[in-house]
Amino acid sequence: MSAALAALLDPALPGRTPDRPVAGYVGADVPVELLTAAGYHPRRLSGSPHEDASAGRRYLGGGLDPVACSVLTRLLAGSYGPLDVLVVSRDCEASLRLFYVLRELRRVEPSVALPPLHLVDVLHLPHRTTTRYVLAKVRGLRAWLAERSGRPVGDDALAAAVVAHDRVRALLRATGELRPRRRLTGTEFLGVVDAATALLPDRAAELLGALVAELADRDPRSGLPVHLTGSAHDCPDVYAAVEAGGLLVVGEDHDRGDLLAATDVGDPGDPAGLELALAERYQHNGPAAPRASIAERAAHTAARVRSRDAAGLLGYVREHDDGPPWDWAAQRAAAGVPAALLERQPYGRVDPDALDRAVRALRAPAVAA
Amino acid sequence: MNAPVRTGRLPGAAAATAYQRQWFADLHRDHVPGAPLALVNADAPQEIFRAMGIPYVVNQWWASIVAAKRRTQDHLARLRERGYPDYTEQYSSTALGSAFDPDPASAPWGGLPTPSIVLAETTGDASRKIFDVWGDQPGVTFYPLESAAADTVPERWWELMPHDWESTVGTDRLDLMVGELEGLIRFLEQTTGRRFSEQRFAEVLALTNEQEEWNRRTRDLVAAARPCPVAVTDSIPAVMIPQWHRGTTWARDAAHRLHDEVADRVSAGAAVCDGERARLMWVGRGLWFDLGFYQRFQERYGAVFVWSMYLAIAADGYVRYGDDPLRTLAARFAAFSDQLYTPPWSAEWYVKEARAHGVQGVVHLVSDDARGSWATTRALRAAGIPVLELHADNVDARRSDPDHLDRTVGGWLEAEVLPRADD
Ligand code: SF4
Ligand code: SF4
Repeated sequence: MSAALAALLDPALPGRTPDRPVAGYVGADVPVELLTAAGYHPRRLSGSPHEDASAGRRYLGGGLDPVACSVLTRLLAGSYGPLDVLVVSRDCEASLRLFYVLRELRRVEPSVALPPLHLVDVLHLPHRTTTRYVLAKVRGLRAWLAERSGRPVGDDALAAAVVAHDRVRALLRATGELRPRRRLTGTEFLGVVDAATALLPDRAAELLGALVAELADRDPRSGLPVHLTGSAHDCPDVYAAVEAGGLLVVGEDHDRGDLLAATDVGDPGDPAGLELALAERYQHNGPAAPRASIAERAAHTAARVRSRDAAGLLGYVREHDDGPPWDWAAQRAAAGVPAALLERQPYGRVDPDALDRAVRALRAPAVAA
Repeated sequence: MNAPVRTGRLPGAAAATAYQRQWFADLHRDHVPGAPLALVNADAPQEIFRAMGIPYVVNQWWASIVAAKRRTQDHLARLRERGYPDYTEQYSSTALGSAFDPDPASAPWGGLPTPSIVLAETTGDASRKIFDVWGDQPGVTFYPLESAAADTVPERWWELMPHDWESTVGTDRLDLMVGELEGLIRFLEQTTGRRFSEQRFAEVLALTNEQEEWNRRTRDLVAAARPCPVAVTDSIPAVMIPQWHRGTTWARDAAHRLHDEVADRVSAGAAVCDGERARLMWVGRGLWFDLGFYQRFQERYGAVFVWSMYLAIAADGYVRYGDDPLRTLAARFAAFSDQLYTPPWSAEWYVKEARAHGVQGVVHLVSDDARGSWATTRALRAAGIPVLELHADNVDARRSDPDHLDRTVGGWLEAEVLPRADD
């Protein structure tokens, strides 16, 4: 294994443990550049399918995406270590409801220890009116962070953070481009993305740069190349099961994989344009299942299937993740390759028989149909 | 004290139901395929269509008609056939099943005419996609509205909203919705050839405020009256059907009539239940398919449901005054569902209403996709009001077993509510 890959996948990697104030955040719609520029170590919160989440479910109810229940449970248990602030985005309905419960807990149950909390309501309709709104939300987050840290988030710091995070994204895309050449597994890529969001951007860029160089010479991985659509994965277990079943995930369209780095903020030329550049980047980053239209999703999925040379389209949808099942019919029609759907799967797991059937359908569609 | 006069069905409720039936029949008679017709969500800014003379059907109302005729399952099956899920947000997706009806003539009420435009907020992860599918049908345009959310809000919205909505909802959300509504008006002007008259629009807004002010007076009457003069099963259609016709003189007058009928009953000392012992509040969507449900608790325990969200939200949730008509309308809808479902607004409001109505207990129907239900139950209990949570999954599974519901609610009444009510 490449040294950089081993380092990135090592949970004890130096730099994963923050040595400055920590900003926990929920959802890829949080403009992390602002957190970095305000002097925080941004830390994206993940759930864990291996831990009991009944404490969170008690507040959020049984019909919500189990990821949110798990994140809430872990927040209440202090599993993330000390968080100096917590920023929640509206990347999906479950995140918004998580925010409302946290806000209410802070209001009515002060004995529950929770960090200062902020909602950044990034919206995604492709309209000018939405851009104006998102711009106001970007400014609101910037002002709130300045209030918390006691000093303004300066233009220079913000410009530097944008450059640093854009660089990480470019390197993630470069890593992704090695996937049709089978230089790494989907499970590995998921771990790489996770590491890249856990590290400060400069450190992440260092390791990703080395990774791209080292992987070029690696032997191809085996498996039938598929594009994975549907739910996001905050834990590698489903990828591992899918790849153990003989598939190779060469691309995906969720924001803990390829979609995290689909576009950059860019250099607006004038520091006065930074906030707008952030607003437009986060509004238009790419069609995530919970927020994008069916048509956008289908077009995006089909394009990714082609650009990654996928031989099949696999849909995996977690129970109570309500958006993706509506996309599937159009994605399947647009993909142009054999397609199979795993619906209403338990969090972090895949039903082995259903996976078997899906693998067979992807390999021999005529027989399965 | 004189024995209360037992009441029958409220005439206004029957009149509203008859009006709706006639209205829909007229729509069928007059609608030519391709002519402007909107399908809108219940909490969407329908007033724009009203002002432009574009008829609209309310998505949730249609779902309730389909459900009442026991046709929901075959509607959902049509979605499944097309590869769409039949297990998410069924209440919103039922009408879409009507779009795929192979035999609309045999559908409830002669079927849903195909709309030319569907309008909905992009709430939830699935609901905007339901409307995406609508927008894919020939001749149908989906006009989406953002559903924005606030980081912080002032708590007592019901006092602030009528006049101070700018600070209550927040300037960013209002700017956004005003921009979207301007776009909607231009879109409708261009595609339907109808004119948007600012004067007509102001009239529609004024009529709506009048209507909701009547609802407010009615709610206040019901809150203060002992015993309870009107059954929730009557007040719901008498409020909701005019709600879907708001901005018309008929709807304003229907709200006025409801008020007068309730006022007459109050002065006559009329009661829905002879021996009212305990007053209850019903939080959540109703079990309206089982009207007997409510009566059984009246008869057995003297426990009367005096409150449902339908009259109460009509009383508090709609009234908006302002100089700028479009911004005033945006203020009605930019945060509408937060009033019912988002704490602290929802939680504090239910407590306020529980106190105003002097209820001794709350039955809280918690559905699978319930929003803010933990906060509501917590706030009511913190205010000293007993709450029974009925989980909708249980209700569904045992729908055929009224005994179970009766035992659950009955046991709770006997243990927690009646002893306090009799104090
Ligand atoms: S707000 Fe309540 S009444 Fe209105 S559509 Fe939603 S559930 Fe129905
Ligand atoms: S609650 Fe009653 S009045 Fe309202 S839609 Fe359902 S059946 Fe009709």
